Amino acid sequence: MADQMTDSYVDEEVKPRRRVGPVVAILLGLGMVALIAILATATPAFQKTNKSPLLGKPAPDIVGPTVTSSDGAQYKLSDRRGRFVVVNFFATWCAPCQQEHPELVSFARRHLQAGDAEVVSVVFGDNDNDVKKFFQENGGEWSVVSDPQGQIALDYGVTGIPESFVIDPNGFVVSKITGGVTSEGLDAILTAAEQAESPSGSGG
Amino acid sequence: MNAALGTAGVALGLAAAVIGAVTIVIGLVGQRPAMLRSSRLYVGLLIAGALLTFFAMERALITRDFSLEYVARNGSRETPPLYNFAALWSALEGSIILWSLILTGYIAVVVHHFRKRLTDPLVGWALAVMLIVAAFFFLLMLGPANPFTTVKGAIPTDGPGPNPLLQNHILMAFHPPMLYLGYVGFTVPFAFAIAALITGRVGEGWLLETRRWTLFAWGFLTVGIVLGAWWSYEVLGWGGYWAWDPVENASFLPWLTGTAYLHSVMVQERRGMLRVWNLSLLCATFSLTILGTFLTRSGVLDSVHAFSESQIGAYILTFFALVVLGSIALIGWRADRLRSPGSIDSPISREGAFLANNVLFAGFAFIVLLGTVFPLVLEAVNGERISIGRPYFDRMTVPIGIALLFLMAVAPVLPWRKASGELLLHRLLWPAWVGTGVVVIAVAFGARGLEPLLAFGLGGFAAGAAIRQIVLATRRQGLHGLVGRANGGMIVHVGVVVIAVALAASSSYSHSAEFVLNPGQSASLAGHTIEYLGLQRVTEAQKSVVRARVRVDGGPVYSPALSTFPGGSTPIGTPSVRTGPRGDVYLTLLDVPDTDNAAVRLGLLVMPLAVWLWIGGGLMAVGTLLAAWPGRRRRPTDPVSAPIPERRVQTPPPPEEPVGEPVGAGVDG
Repeated sequence: MADQMTDSYVDEEVKPRRRVGPVVAILLGLGMVALIAILATATPAFQKTNKSPLLGKPAPDIVGPTVTSSDGAQYKLSDRRGRFVVVNFFATWCAPCQQEHPELVSFARRHLQAGDAEVVSVVFGDNDNDVKKFFQENGGEWSVVSDPQGQIALDYGVTGIPESFVIDPNGFVVSKITGGVTSEGLDAILTAAEQAESPSGSGG
Repeated sequence: MNAALGTAGVALGLAAAVIGAVTIVIGLVGQRPAMLRSSRLYVGLLIAGALLTFFAMERALITRDFSLEYVARNGSRETPPLYNFAALWSALEGSIILWSLILTGYIAVVVHHFRKRLTDPLVGWALAVMLIVAAFFFLLMLGPANPFTTVKGAIPTDGPGPNPLLQNHILMAFHPPMLYLGYVGFTVPFAFAIAALITGRVGEGWLLETRRWTLFAWGFLTVGIVLGAWWSYEVLGWGGYWAWDPVENASFLPWLTGTAYLHSVMVQERRGMLRVWNLSLLCATFSLTILGTFLTRSGVLDSVHAFSESQIGAYILTFFALVVLGSIALIGWRADRLRSPGSIDSPISREGAFLANNVLFAGFAFIVLLGTVFPLVLEAVNGERISIGRPYFDRMTVPIGIALLFLMAVAPVLPWRKASGELLLHRLLWPAWVGTGVVVIAVAFGARGLEPLLAFGLGGFAAGAAIRQIVLATRRQGLHGLVGRANGGMIVHVGVVVIAVALAASSSYSHSAEFVLNPGQSASLAGHTIEYLGLQRVTEAQKSVVRARVRVDGGPVYSPALSTFPGGSTPIGTPSVRTGPRGDVYLTLLDVPDTDNAAVRLGLLVMPLAVWLWIGGGLMAVGTLLAAWPGRRRRPTDPVSAPIPERRVQTPPPPEEPVGEPVGAGVDG
């Protein structure tokens, strides 16, 4: 908009006057077409996914003690085949993680009945007591896996949190989401993954 | 029943808008005045459609008709009446109903105002444009944002109610309608601008016709933005009022271009210059309202308070493309006729100052737009994801704000054409003293830092200049010195200065801290002491609330709260604010223990001069009203030597007054 100003002003002052109006209009029009094209093709923010070398590959297994249960039960991702699993790397000190938490709660709750998808959180650089308290206060009944050495995060190539991976019922990574997830965005990913699978007949 | 009524209303509105627009265009092209006069009928039907739609939805909300999906999602039996009424604009589909109702209202007033000139091509084309815009919004309600879809399967017996954040404060009932009155109001000047371009009557006539409309739209938008900031401050509890969030930017962008237009239009009225620029500004303002709707409604941007996401994006984007490319094509086509008859004589003149003002406002708008869409552009270019936040906006916009304050001080005293140094010195002397005095007082009270002191000083300077104008005008004309564009405008300027000073003070000198306090313990910050007294738990029908009772400075007790709504999982904080002329003490409850006697976590924020932000907004609204007040003044296109018409008994000038300019004019009336 700013260059429009200067251009139109030049139009007023240049003498002798030439037909600059149409030229300026065409240039400006092209600029706007580009902007509109970008807006039209932009991925909605709630389903922004990133490239990861893991996409389409079998998910690295996640094995570890859970934080939320008192008896220190073990979690094993490879035991959870047959449903979608959202692996969520998080910490209580990370504001976007706190922000996305209600979305995860709502997602998990909605899929609890059908049993077609579940969430597992992996602690990233945080102590277990804070995590326990965070889940007590903010809800969320899924397993939270402790990862004190950061080995799981390393396996998944996590660079920043929150970061989430969607694992399909066969144990393959179908999506990586950087930044906060939304309940609807996750559903969109699940639907897309189901559709991609069903034509080839490999699904369920 | 409600669904049928509402759908009927939408269908009626859409049909009336489409048939009306087609009839008018045929009438214009075929030169059949009878068809043009029939536009009243179509506008009547359009109003009927919009009212029917609105009443059907309100009826559904009030009677708790949960068979409608919108009511099932946004209504609840426990929501109090006011918020239940306001639930109409708490989600996407309902806001489109409000939008189209307001738009048809504007169209109705336009038709009434120009009832004797419906056969005038300028009015005809403007009406056609407005009807097309209306048709678009009714189309949205029939297609992607249908508010009257019915629930599939079993009808729920109750709903979750509106978003908890939207039923927490009385301001929510007023902020969206105000904002929409502003947004939608810009349709009128835009339609006249397009009509002027199509008919080729690009002289100054259409400007005068739409001057007051633009002023009203701008005033409503201003009030809407200030109320939004106030709501954010009183409800969201993060202790701020402006976060450069895409939703906020969406309302601020048209305000910036609209403000630029209100200033530059005076240059065109007086000197016939800047025509391309003014038309572009109006088209840009309207386009930005549509772009803002797209950005906030399509979900392409991350936003803290994007209240809705839907498939509506494609429709709005198509409409935006149509508006922008259409306007650019029309302006390019008419560029030759838009040649201005004169040029600026001296940069140190009123028109020079307006030009500088416009460069600054356009730059401001560009920076805000860039900051809002740049993440998308960058991602499209190289796939990188970045987020642009406060630091960018603050760093880029503060210098512009300071420069604008300076211009506000100098511009009103500049004469048209050319100013002499002597005259400037004479007129600026005491405003400059006011500015200096303000800085000295501020420093004496302990204010430090370059930016706030500059803002205070220039603010004093600008306020001095504005008050000088008001004093001179009232001395000359008595109370009439307060009305009219120039004088009302000066009151708006005072409002802006008040806001600028409050902004500088509250952002530079605020203090915040978090305390963990047991009952009976106190803490202090920046000269204020708070004492935590205890918890209070209240369970109401639609929410359960925990309040912390906190005594501030040994005086009254305030109670910041955390409310839990059945529909939402996270508790919503409600800050409690002690408002005072010198500053606010802003309390938030951050964390509640399970037992009543344990410690709570409280947030304490001391915000100097925060209340003046809202007072400044009020002053701007009053000033706008005074500026739009019909009064005794000469038509701006008349020569200065023309006599001012005698005041009539009825103040508004008769609307049937003929437009004086010849077709394709560049000649002043």
